[in-house]
Amino acid sequence: MADNKQLACMTCVPKGLCQGKGLVTLKEGAWANNPLAIQMLGICSALAVTNRLENSLVMGAALIFVCVGSNLIVSLLRKYTPHRIRMIAEVAIIATFVILFDQFLKAFYWDMSKQLGPYVGLIITNCIVMGRAEAFALQNPPMLSIVDGLANGIGYAVVLAIIGFFRELLGSGEIFGRTVLSADWYTPNQIMILAPGAFFALGIVIGIFNAIKGPEPEEKK
Amino acid sequence: MKGLLKVFEAIRPSFEQGGKLRVFKPVFEALDEAFFAPSATTVTAPHVRDPLDVKRFMAMVVIALFPCVLAAFYFFGLRFAVMILVSYAAGGAVEVVFAMVRKENINEGFLVTGMLFPLILPPTLPLWMVGLGVAFGVFIGKELFGGTGRNVFNPALVGRCFLALAYPAKMSASWLGPGNGLTGRLFEYAGASAVDSLSSATPLAMAKQGQFIGLREMFLGNISGSAGETSAIAIILGGVFLLLTRVASWRTVASILGSFVLLAGALHYAQPGTFGPVLWHLCAGGLLFGAFFMATDPVTSPITNTGKWFYGIIIGSVTVLIRNFTGYVEGVTFAILLGNIVAPILDEIVVGVRIRRLRSEG
Repeated sequence: MADNKQLACMTCVPKGLCQGKGLVTLKEGAWANNPLAIQMLGICSALAVTNRLENSLVMGAALIFVCVGSNLIVSLLRKYTPHRIRMIAEVAIIATFVILFDQFLKAFYWDMSKQLGPYVGLIITNCIVMGRAEAFALQNPPMLSIVDGLANGIGYAVVLAIIGFFRELLGSGEIFGRTVLSADWYTPNQIMILAPGAFFALGIVIGIFNAIKGPEPEEKK
Repeated sequence: MKGLLKVFEAIRPSFEQGGKLRVFKPVFEALDEAFFAPSATTVTAPHVRDPLDVKRFMAMVVIALFPCVLAAFYFFGLRFAVMILVSYAAGGAVEVVFAMVRKENINEGFLVTGMLFPLILPPTLPLWMVGLGVAFGVFIGKELFGGTGRNVFNPALVGRCFLALAYPAKMSASWLGPGNGLTGRLFEYAGASAVDSLSSATPLAMAKQGQFIGLREMFLGNISGSAGETSAIAIILGGVFLLLTRVASWRTVASILGSFVLLAGALHYAQPGTFGPVLWHLCAGGLLFGAFFMATDPVTSPITNTGKWFYGIIIGSVTVLIRNFTGYVEGVTFAILLGNIVAPILDEIVVGVRIRRLRSEG
């Protein structure tokens, strides 16, 4: 772990808030242990909302917000939460942030809220958020937990944006609702709008991620 | 032939390990084996008694497809030749690239897929869709699963299913009324401009509106439909050849057609007004073609004989259900893909039951 010190987060080191683990945590969550492409969590929403790039970005933002918020609160309360009821406490905290975001969308971006339908509310059941609270925030200090929530949220959001970009581009020839591939010569591939297209796109993205990352260390032996 | 053999022997070293062109070894091997018997021989037992290898097995299927291909030429014209070319070129490219990356030989299985694919497409489908479909079928349906012999689904059907979902408008409107007269469309190149939506509706689509085309036309193939599926007589000719050479399993064919006839017959008997007669349904759409050429694929159908019976029953009855009770006009593609999914499970169950029975007998 010697080389980890070189990666240490410069803003955190002087204050000692992240114990020098900031950048490692960030890299781990967003890339090496990407929740979608490597851990295969949160697949459901990745398939459901990615038919347009706009929807994917909002969904990604929602997850970043919820993940950061819930990680922070869970981490702050980690010493006061009785072990036996920690799950209920986590769900209550996560639900609070999800409802906050949902209400925000409903108040200011009603059309987007309608398009995303139940999927914003369903972030409560998203394995990534719960998983980070359980696996990380319960054992780590607040600042580091924020970094971890941010990293995993970004990891999820980036994969969602990639899938959303290609699905909207190939499925309707548009990006952000603007025609990019003209209908004169491009026939929209309707399977990309449908659920099977989401499966194909996600599968290919996961394949590429794993190909770049290479096999797991224990498989190399 | 001797001269050719000398040429092959002369250039062989450059494709072997360390040679300049070793990346193209799969291509060389494929050409070599197409002209001459494989140079590899078995050294130890078991020795091969009948040299029916994959290549000859697949060649049988291509030969059996001949009547269908001729019928497709006769009814839909010269454009079909271009469709075959595109299909072989696009699918073959994917196949060759994968063979080179994996450093394996090019597999003969593609000879069949590339020929089957244009036969199950509407005759005036845009050519780029033909290429895209077959490339998708070979890439997603076969290579990602590990190549020939490891695929779960029939690659040609994966390609067709992809096109049907991706471009539903084109896939359901690229039909062509068959040529009339003695020479059919043999000397015509009938592209999309020849499509007349009124005269070219398929029999199954017309049946949804209560119109039934005569049985004689359906049997000969003088109807609209996918290029190779219209002529029942041509399919039966090739299919019987496959059954006689035992390349196709008679159990699969018998159970598909048997269950189809039973179920469709029961429906027709119960409500003759709504559901078409059995013989008519048998000749309509892609049922015969699917039963003889698609479902009998040795890779994607069950290995056990009992499994084959159940596999056939699933395909036959699902086809009846989709045709008569859903918005879809034809259901053979979906039925066979569904059969492909359950095939390994059926084998598992059959073997499991047999083992349990043997154990209980002690």
